[in-house]
Amino acid sequence: MDNTEASVYLSQFIGKNLRIHTTDDRVFGGQMKCTDKDRNIILALTYEYRAPPADVIREAVEASGNPSVPVTWNSRYVGLVVVPGPHVKKIEFEDSGRSGVVL
Amino acid sequence: MDPKMDSGFLLPNETLEDSYNVLAPILPEEVIGIMDQLLCYEMAWHTGYPLSQTLFTSVYIDKLLWPEPKTVEEAQFYRGDLPAGRRPGVLLEVLRAYCLALVKCCDFVIAKITGRDYFEEEDFCTHTYNRVLFVQVPLDVFLRELDAAVERMEDTDLEMSSSLRKAIISRLDFRRDFLRALDLDCPLEHLSNYWPPILSNLTSIFTTQQLGKTVPGSFSTKIQRRLASTVPPRPIVELEFKDAFEKLKQLCIDCEEATRFTSLEPDPLEYQSFLLVFASRAPTPLPYSRSYLATLLFHPQILNATSSLPLTDVRTLVLPCSTILSPANWSFSPPRNPLLPKPPRLQLALLVDEFIERTGQPYLDFWTALGQNTCRLRRMLTHVIGGWDQLQTDASIVDADLMRVVTEMGMRDEVMDSPLTVWVYQKKLWMIEKCVLLGFEQDIYLPDEYGGMYHFLSLISGRRKVVLEAISAHFVTRARQLQHADQLPEAADVEDGAQHIASLISEADGVSSLGAALASFYTVLLYLKVLPRPARPFSSQELRFELRMKPFLALQPPEVPPFKDWLDKVQPYGPYELPSPSFLADVQNADSQLWSNMDANIKRAKEAFSAVMKIGATNAKCGGVKEAWARDVKGVLASCVALGIAVAGVRSRVARSGGGIKMEVEMGVQGLGIGIEIPLMGTAKRYAEGWVVAKVVKG
Repeated sequence: MDNTEASVYLSQFIGKNLRIHTTDDRVFGGQMKCTDKDRNIILALTYEYRAPPADVIREAVEASGNPSVPVTWNSRYVGLVVVPGPHVKKIEFEDSGRSGVVL
Repeated sequence: MDPKMDSGFLLPNETLEDSYNVLAPILPEEVIGIMDQLLCYEMAWHTGYPLSQTLFTSVYIDKLLWPEPKTVEEAQFYRGDLPAGRRPGVLLEVLRAYCLALVKCCDFVIAKITGRDYFEEEDFCTHTYNRVLFVQVPLDVFLRELDAAVERMEDTDLEMSSSLRKAIISRLDFRRDFLRALDLDCPLEHLSNYWPPILSNLTSIFTTQQLGKTVPGSFSTKIQRRLASTVPPRPIVELEFKDAFEKLKQLCIDCEEATRFTSLEPDPLEYQSFLLVFASRAPTPLPYSRSYLATLLFHPQILNATSSLPLTDVRTLVLPCSTILSPANWSFSPPRNPLLPKPPRLQLALLVDEFIERTGQPYLDFWTALGQNTCRLRRMLTHVIGGWDQLQTDASIVDADLMRVVTEMGMRDEVMDSPLTVWVYQKKLWMIEKCVLLGFEQDIYLPDEYGGMYHFLSLISGRRKVVLEAISAHFVTRARQLQHADQLPEAADVEDGAQHIASLISEADGVSSLGAALASFYTVLLYLKVLPRPARPFSSQELRFELRMKPFLALQPPEVPPFKDWLDKVQPYGPYELPSPSFLADVQNADSQLWSNMDANIKRAKEAFSAVMKIGATNAKCGGVKEAWARDVKGVLASCVALGIAVAGVRSRVARSGGGIKMEVEMGVQGLGIGIEIPLMGTAKRYAEGWVVAKVVKG
């Protein structure tokens, strides 16, 4: 992919909702505003999601007896954030039609 | 990842949420501990810290407020249904009632403070982080909860030592009284009944504080992650119980004092002196107390009194028993034919109305400034003075029209020259004086600037005195006219009014004389090189002068003397480093004009302030704050005496030193044995805060 192609490809996600997984196992869902060559990404209207602590999950599993019992993730609104490139593990594109596409 | 940039950053093994269980049973000691801790945080918030670092660090309060409850019943330490066995116990219910009332207190406080002029994050933080503090829920709901809690506590089935029981009940009682007093809709007539019960209850809280047991786990900084997502948690503000208790007591005492405002004579000048005394209370009233007083001041019942405040002010000062302000003027109707001239009395009424309307904004600004703490009062005054300067120009236009109409009516001799301009000018000069005096009060000026600033102060109050003397002369003429016209009650009124003017004249005279005495005293000290003079490699005296005079430079007529004139006054013997030989001669001669002028000024100031004292608080329009007023005047008198002693001390030392002074003056050698102690602000070493009198000590 040359420079122009790459730019065109990335531009299509501007203003679209992305889900970014980070190295500390948080997920940030927000509207992509811009990015740079170091993969730093600016998200607007972002929510931060985090899995509950291990012992909470263990308790929930023990209580229900079902090893794949759903637990609710903690979420909080963080607004406009920069996700530093080195910490990005995975980026998902939230398409309104489909549930999510891994980029 | 950077913990300073990322509010969601967690250390290894750190959890996002706290594991504190709010439904776990607690001991009565712990209830007391939590309640007292909450009180500490509440007061820390009152002193200006955000809720996120104070009350909102409580896990209990967090559970009550989030997720947002739709009703008060829903505001529990849990949401949804709980099995009967897991429901919170009696003590938790009591704590819940206390917390609910506390939250409502915060709501009232925010509403009161935001209702008046305040400065967000400078005075107070009103941010509630999207938590709704039961804005819609009326007061009685909380009172009911508290009453129910008290009943639960009084239940004999509840096993608990009686001292603990009493301690908890007294805290609930306090919260109920406090909540009532903070209520926004208290009727003016009953205001003074709200604060005394709180004060009487406070001691029992203080003495039982040691019964409590702190529960550190029930407060957490982690909640801040959910309150404000963009900043990482900041430490909890710890205010010791002793200090918090003092703050609370001060808040109640200040508010109680503020309620006296409603019983003042309906006179703007009385209001003014009350506000000034309130602002200079030590320690400085908290933002809530100030808003409390300001709300009273701007209460429709007070502001919309029968006659408008500026009008009363004008009448008191320049237009006693005058036809211009006669109520009858307002009863004339304009002629049907618009081409016919209006009756002269109607013209007067219209002109006065026009002026009063124009006065509105500057007048309001002035009152707003008076409602602030003294530091901001000084800064705001510098702007208010500008507004009044504009007003003075406009007043002169209205005055010209007034004079024309009055001349037509053939009563020119009943009215003084340009009364409205004089009124505005007098007030403006007073504000400039106040501004400078507040500067001294707050140690804005350095010791080597004292001379120059006191000289300026003396200049301004001298000018005010001249203006006031013209007013006084008018009062005398007016009283005589009324006596000749056999209007004896009116004549008596005018004579009473003249007492106020007399008080103002004496005060202006005193300020001017004492200012002049201090100015020459500090000038001599500068020449003797006993005042500290910081090295200022990058500034010049002219620039420093301009900086100090900045707020007054644009005024018309000009109040600030040209730099050259000012310099001649503050450096009468040439530069401080190299005074002319005549200084030596003068300073060593105890009978020289230099010293005799100083003595004369001190004497005159003493006489003037004694006269103010004699004319009394009521005539000074300080009847509502008699004690504070008397203390202030006595303080200034004491300052005069102290200055007399200081002057005598310096004079005798200089005289005794003989030739040594030459060395001292010419070479700046310290060796005369004159040392100077400047009493700093807030050390209670000044007799009057605005009058800095140096003390002469052995150097």
